[in-house]
Amino acid sequence: MKHSIFLPIFVTASLLSGCVGYPRIVNYPYDPGGVSLNSSASELDPQISRRYIVFASDRGGRQDIYMFDRVTGSLVDLPGLNSFDTVASHPGVSESGRYIVFAGSRQGRSAIFLYDRETRQLRNLTANLQAEVRHPTMSADGNRIAFESSVNGQWDILVYNRSGQPLNIPQDPR
Amino acid sequence: MRKITPSFWLQRQIPWGLSFTLASLLVSCSYSDIPLGPTSLNSRYTEQQPALSGNGRFLALVSNRNGSHQLLVYDLDQQQFIQTPRLNQPETIVESPSLSYTGRYIAYMTSDQGRPVVALYDRATQQSQILTPTYRGWIRNPSISPNGRYVVFESASRGQWDIEVLDRGPDVELDIDNGASVGAPP
Repeated sequence: MKHSIFLPIFVTASLLSGCVGYPRIVNYPYDPGGVSLNSSASELDPQISRRYIVFASDRGGRQDIYMFDRVTGSLVDLPGLNSFDTVASHPGVSESGRYIVFAGSRQGRSAIFLYDRETRQLRNLTANLQAEVRHPTMSADGNRIAFESSVNGQWDILVYNRSGQPLNIPQDPR
Repeated sequence: MRKITPSFWLQRQIPWGLSFTLASLLVSCSYSDIPLGPTSLNSRYTEQQPALSGNGRFLALVSNRNGSHQLLVYDLDQQQFIQTPRLNQPETIVESPSLSYTGRYIAYMTSDQGRPVVALYDRATQQSQILTPTYRGWIRNPSISPNGRYVVFESASRGQWDIEVLDRGPDVELDIDNGASVGAPP
């Protein structure tokens, strides 16, 4: 007898909490054609800033960097960022959406690239580093970039400023 | 005589068992953070998965130093590691850290009874909470927004890697810069 009362209450409560409860998943339209956040291809390594989500996707037949605007609900054009012979991965975006950092692999060499949406310029930050690099991250103000480097025969972390100069961080003597 | 001996033996065992239980409870409560060892950012061991805070001051990373896989947070201005009590737990792997604007919130991957979950550590309360308790399927690579309200991650619920956006809600304490204007959240 008691169970017959509790069951509807429990179901109602769980339904209500499912409607208004946080944290919850935000639904963005799924588009197989590839003009939204998710497509029928794979989406990788998302990073979120104030209104933008950057990620890597192979929806265009190669792995490129995409940027989704949560306000307009559409993709943002990134002219000159992706190229035919580069596998792009691990993007990071500044809070303003102006700077995008990512790892690119091209002709057997990996590098950390910085893209400026205002000037549409792409810059290789690690051209002088004789090592494999991966997993870049950028601060929201776009002033600092950190990434993994194999320069010491293992994965270590280097921190650069936006102009490509290493920060002076003391290291243990080896 | 034979009957008395076992009961006496049992009675002696009960206080021992009790004190052992209490002691183990105390030990698990007072478990402190794993000692950091050398204070330099890189060590002789692998440092991986860097994540900068929004203001660029803090750097979260996963390090293999001191014989364990642990999540550390380095202060680039003070050039030392900061304490994050109860973030690294014994017999637990943490992966893929992500920091909010001033590094107050740390979103990361861990497992809860064998299930991958996105967890959130709040440096103000020094507590972790699981953000994806009822989520089905495999997930990885979480990233928290600078203000700490949204967390994006990869999910395999559609049979491929897709991006999910988790909203922590309008009532969370936002992590914003002092003096920054609070715009309408998109």
